[in-house]
Amino acid sequence: MPVWHAALQPYEKAGQVAVVAIVQDQHPDRARLFLQWKQIGWPVLADQLDLLNLDTVPLTVAVDEYGIVRFTELPMSAAKTIGETFITQTYPKPASTPAIDRGLFQTVRSWTQAIGIFSQDVQRHPTDGAAEFRLGSAYRARYDSPDRRATDFADAERHWSRALEIDPNRYIWRRRVQQYGPRMAEPYAFFDWIRDARREIAARGETAIALAVEPGDSEFETPDPRLAAARVPAAEPDPRGRIRRDAGEFIGVESTAVPAEPAPGDTVRVHVTFRPNARTKAHWNNSVDPLVYWLAPPAGVRVSARAFVAPNAGTEVSQETRTVEYDVTLPHAANGRVTLPGYALYYVCEDVNGVCMYRRHDITVTIPVTR
Amino acid sequence: MKIAAAVALAAALAAPVAQPATPRPIWARNNPLPHGLNRGDAFPTLALPSADDGHPVSIAEFRGKKLIVNIFASW
Repeated sequence: MPVWHAALQPYEKAGQVAVVAIVQDQHPDRARLFLQWKQIGWPVLADQLDLLNLDTVPLTVAVDEYGIVRFTELPMSAAKTIGETFITQTYPKPASTPAIDRGLFQTVRSWTQAIGIFSQDVQRHPTDGAAEFRLGSAYRARYDSPDRRATDFADAERHWSRALEIDPNRYIWRRRVQQYGPRMAEPYAFFDWIRDARREIAARGETAIALAVEPGDSEFETPDPRLAAARVPAAEPDPRGRIRRDAGEFIGVESTAVPAEPAPGDTVRVHVTFRPNARTKAHWNNSVDPLVYWLAPPAGVRVSARAFVAPNAGTEVSQETRTVEYDVTLPHAANGRVTLPGYALYYVCEDVNGVCMYRRHDITVTIPVTR
Repeated sequence: MKIAAAVALAAALAAPVAQPATPRPIWARNNPLPHGLNRGDAFPTLALPSADDGHPVSIAEFRGKKLIVNIFASW
């Protein structure tokens, strides 16, 4: 992309060409951060639903002044000669040009409404993988919004997986499934670049674009170094269950298994999410040990670790969502469901200057197994 | 999308838009959406939300000038 940026800049300044980025990320603000890092000021349009119905990325496409595609999949080597091959070329005016299609914007007012319409579309076109992908992406978008429902993430995964079953050749869809899935034999560095980007943007004296949703552990090739540095307990921290329980008054807990419908013997990525309760104005207490999650898997169930830590934020108290992720390999004899008991221990305060306490939250992760 | 990703889009969706060019939402067509981009075809004119502010923008709004569209994912 920097190659194209450098090659096109003179033509942009001369008013001979415009450049637009369209990003296929589920979270387009990550692409905005990427462009900020690379100091590229192109306008960015978000296609998290893959409305363009594309197989893969990246694609560099040349569109003439009448809106007609003249080149698709331009290689990076074409950047050097783009002036002669495209920008200064003359193209015939077509007899007609299609009108702007604002269908999405004139109809939908919320992700909930979009999910309703997309669901109908999936029912009407059961072999349309693109419809499944749109529905999955809308569920995940609602999951990341204030209208979120606890099952939205799992629903997103289910529909993304169905999309890929219908058409396994769609690279964008495959990556979306892998983004949240079990750690691969060769882990993919989805968002490891973010650490470098933030460091370099700060070194330039700029403020990095804030992300609405921080990438989780499954989205990094190299796990968060703060996790490696955290003191994960070797022994069960509350074996007799003596710590007072929090049933969600202070911290709400949700879990999602990816894939949502695994078969016996599969490895599943479990995402456990901890959210301070806004009603009780709960805050993490960051001046003490971080959240610890202890897992007690039943016999025959293999987990990537028994104990996990979700690091504290840098401020004295905070209200961010925290996540813990781990892989679970299901027994070949599993049938119906696998349950993983466990619990989290954390320090939490009522409001910023309120009472602080130590609490235990019992967590049972249930994974439906499909034979 | 930035803070409250979906909200930004939803806010944009809720904003008044110009005279609609198509009466039906794109996902409610009887036929699947076109697959991919083909040389010689019009670039799809559907509006997409700006990642900056959620405002709907169509590639068709750039007509009159040559355009390079860089389609990518940050991963």
